Amino acid sequence: MKSKTEAKRQEILKAAAEVFREVGYERATMSDIRARIGGSKATLYNYFPSKESLLLEVMHHARELELQAVVAALDPEAEDVRKELLRFGQAFLAVLYSPETIATRRLSIAESRHTEIGRVSFERAVLPAEKKVAEFLRAAMKRGALRTADPKIAAMHCLSLLESELLQRMLLGVIEAVKPETLTSAARRAVTAFLSGYAPAPASAARN
Amino acid sequence: MKKSDSKRQAILDTAYGLFRAHGFEKTSMAEISARVGGSKATLYSHFPSKEELFVECVMSVLQNYMSGTLKYLDAAGPDPERALVRFGASVLRFICSAEQVEVRRMVIAEAVRSGTGKLFFNKLAALRAQVSAFLFECMSAGTLRNDDPELAADHLGALLEAEVLEPLLLRVRDDSPQEEEIDRAAVRAIATFLRAYAPAETYSTAARAC
Repeated sequence: MKSKTEAKRQEILKAAAEVFREVGYERATMSDIRARIGGSKATLYNYFPSKESLLLEVMHHARELELQAVVAALDPEAEDVRKELLRFGQAFLAVLYSPETIATRRLSIAESRHTEIGRVSFERAVLPAEKKVAEFLRAAMKRGALRTADPKIAAMHCLSLLESELLQRMLLGVIEAVKPETLTSAARRAVTAFLSGYAPAPASAARN
Repeated sequence: MKKSDSKRQAILDTAYGLFRAHGFEKTSMAEISARVGGSKATLYSHFPSKEELFVECVMSVLQNYMSGTLKYLDAAGPDPERALVRFGASVLRFICSAEQVEVRRMVIAEAVRSGTGKLFFNKLAALRAQVSAFLFECMSAGTLRNDDPELAADHLGALLEAEVLEPLLLRVRDDSPQEEEIDRAAVRAIATFLRAYAPAETYSTAARAC
């Protein structure tokens, strides 16, 4: 029974994701979504009591899994800080700049005024990434590979630099897709800037 | 101010208020024209479409504010740090205000839906160019290392926004940051930026001194 319920749930989420993408959250109606999957409106409401609850699940389902994997793969024990940050940065941007993630991000910013969507999105997606990067940077600072600073702030600087070249263009719809090589070079430039910004002080480097 | 300029400004002010109150979709050119007074033809002679009017009224608020903020860069002496911190704090005060957070949400919401995103981006290019022109001067003067000034401007903007913008946009917090918090974020962002773009000289000189 559980698998049948879960299958229905997934079917609804898939249909809702399509409708939201096609007409936007505001214009989408529960009836549009029901029309895609068939069945009664009562069934739909049984699974998801509101359009908002549906949106939350749609948004986080796809994005969360991918992002979790990328974040989990960042290894605080990695010896080569630059290499590991580059690898992470590229994978992070590949998830961030997928058309689905951008549409989701646009939606969560747009709808956060009246709903809890923004908060949930922050807690599920932004915060875990910040925490993991901070953990990675703290370890690098301890080893003397980076200058000692507040790792939480450094993590925010790092993630923001990664997003710096293309996020605004994507959110504004100026570009719709990013080629892998563009993404790689943006990540490389961001990591280079970040590592110079947090390089160990020259004096201690000379002593070591 | 010429008569047509004051008319134009009246349209921008009225439209800005209506867009903020009711959103892009629910605001019509007819309503804007009725509020401003005068014919719809006059309105359209100033702004050919609602999309362009939307972009213009948001941009005019931004340009108006930024013309004051960019003066910090014009007044920069041989050491860009002070000017950059002042500039950065001023930019942050603007984008973190409750009004601008709401406007930014609306701009992002409408970017693709009404196709205004590209218009915005093109208009923003002029402001970005002024920041990169300043950074280019610093690079030429040797106070920053030689690099692509446009890239440096993107990195500078990202570092400034890094600590404060996202929680506001996603309404994780409702309160606008206080002056002190903004100043701290600006100081940290500029410190990281200046290290990241320090001329190679600084390091070798410091190393020799030790």
